[in-house]
Amino acid sequence: MSNQSVYKEVLLDHFHNPRNKGELDGMAMIKRGSNPRCGDEIEVGVNCNDEILTSVRFRGRGCSVCLASASIMTESTAGLERQQAQQLTQQVQHWFEDKNSDPPDDDALAALSSLRQHSARKKCVLLAWVALGEVLDCPG
Amino acid sequence: MDQAQSKPVFSLPDWRALRNDFPVLTNSQPALHYLDSAASSQKPQAVIDAISHCYSHNYGPVHRGLYALAEVASEAYEAARQTIANFVNAENTNEIVFTRSATEAINLVAHGWAGQHLKPGEDIWVSQMEHHANFLPWQRVCQTLGTRLRVIPLDEDGQLDFETAEGIFGANTGLIAITQVSNVLGTINPIEQIVRRANRQSIPVLVDAAQAVGHMAVDVQALNCDFLVASAHKMCGPGGIGFLYGKQERLAETDPLLLGGGMVDEVDIDQSSWAEIPARFEAGSPNLSGAVGFAAAINYLQDIGMGAIEQRVQQLTSLAYQTLSEIDGLALYGSPESTSHSGILSFNVDDIHPHDVAHIAAEHGVAIRAGHHCCQPLMQRLGVSSTARASFSFYNNEQDIAALAKAILDAKQILGNR
Repeated sequence: MSNQSVYKEVLLDHFHNPRNKGELDGMAMIKRGSNPRCGDEIEVGVNCNDEILTSVRFRGRGCSVCLASASIMTESTAGLERQQAQQLTQQVQHWFEDKNSDPPDDDALAALSSLRQHSARKKCVLLAWVALGEVLDCPG
Repeated sequence: MDQAQSKPVFSLPDWRALRNDFPVLTNSQPALHYLDSAASSQKPQAVIDAISHCYSHNYGPVHRGLYALAEVASEAYEAARQTIANFVNAENTNEIVFTRSATEAINLVAHGWAGQHLKPGEDIWVSQMEHHANFLPWQRVCQTLGTRLRVIPLDEDGQLDFETAEGIFGANTGLIAITQVSNVLGTINPIEQIVRRANRQSIPVLVDAAQAVGHMAVDVQALNCDFLVASAHKMCGPGGIGFLYGKQERLAETDPLLLGGGMVDEVDIDQSSWAEIPARFEAGSPNLSGAVGFAAAINYLQDIGMGAIEQRVQQLTSLAYQTLSEIDGLALYGSPESTSHSGILSFNVDDIHPHDVAHIAAEHGVAIRAGHHCCQPLMQRLGVSSTARASFSFYNNEQDIAALAKAILDAKQILGNR
């Protein structure tokens, strides 16, 4: 099995069995991201304790890429310090915006790499990450 | 030879050979199943050659030089205008204004005609199936002028519902701006009837014919509309050029949208006067290669025959409709089984996001569109955020449709509920 097809399996698994997806009741900070071009709409909620992300969840609708990326994101960022999470969201955004950039320091994100060649899907991949970035940029 | 045999036989084009006129289709490896012609059509070699020939032999400034090359360029530009006028049966060649696109042509009428002639409180009617290009310019006119934007609702089959469009043909209506063919549903609207009823109250009608011209015979005198717009790139012509047809008396009361070179009569420090029609609407250096390519596209289509093209697309669409209807969980929008339907099918499959369907289709070499198709008000009416859309041209074939069906089944298998 090639890397590409392994990545595809990972993405499909996150799409069919999204992690940390559901209502955001009790989440302290919530930000919304939308892509009017395709009607995707995601909300990302975060709980923090002492600058550590104790919980990252999302809800909403979107294409398989958008939902899989959000699901992967929740797993990759929960447990990080706020500053580390900020750094990671920036790295992911940069990774998709600059074709020559290095991958982020998180192997769990490798599955997303197969989507970098599809510029039309950039917004789908980044929707949740941008929303998370906005949450983390909020003071408090 | 008996009577029947001696009749001239209507010979059908060789569609397989015609497909080979399109280098993108023959050059693509693996095979390209291009089902996105409603977004933009592919270009035949004849059009590519005409543009290349223009730049290689006849290129010069239009209406601006006294040397031979400039004259040749000017003549070619005006000949293209004549070709378009003949194609849509305009009474006068100067009723054809070259624009950058159908979009620009609508904006020209919104700004230059509606903006000058409509009064606050009057109604501008559009339909719920309009492309944003025939929606937003009117929304802006209403915001700045105080006219009211009214929307003709659609019935369950995606047809215009005039029963509920109260007052549309009444004295308070200042303009009706309507698409001839929906770019999402493929519905062909009864433009002649609409204009006939509008005429009784002297209501001007603008027709967005971007999906009609080049796909079916369009006769502006038979339609009797006041304005009609279309673009070249959806009918085998180059990008960056379209036209506005306007009845002479309507164009005479229209102000130019763009001001600049080539559209003036006399310019003084304090005030200026405009050139004759249509030059007054064509500020800036004209798009010669675009006009030449546009004319070449029309000649190419006419050589095949508009009747034959329309029939071919109807056959392909009907086959696609039958094929897709057999797929479990596939919802088709509008009424594609109707006879007043063009080569456009919009659909969704199960709960799969249309972007995913289009992405998987792409992996099968099938090019379809997914999204709201610049028709968000229509999406709201359909109760979806987006659809997948396959659109057909005469250069498509049965294999394209089979590939589409296979791709949809694959999408179901990969992304459908497990």
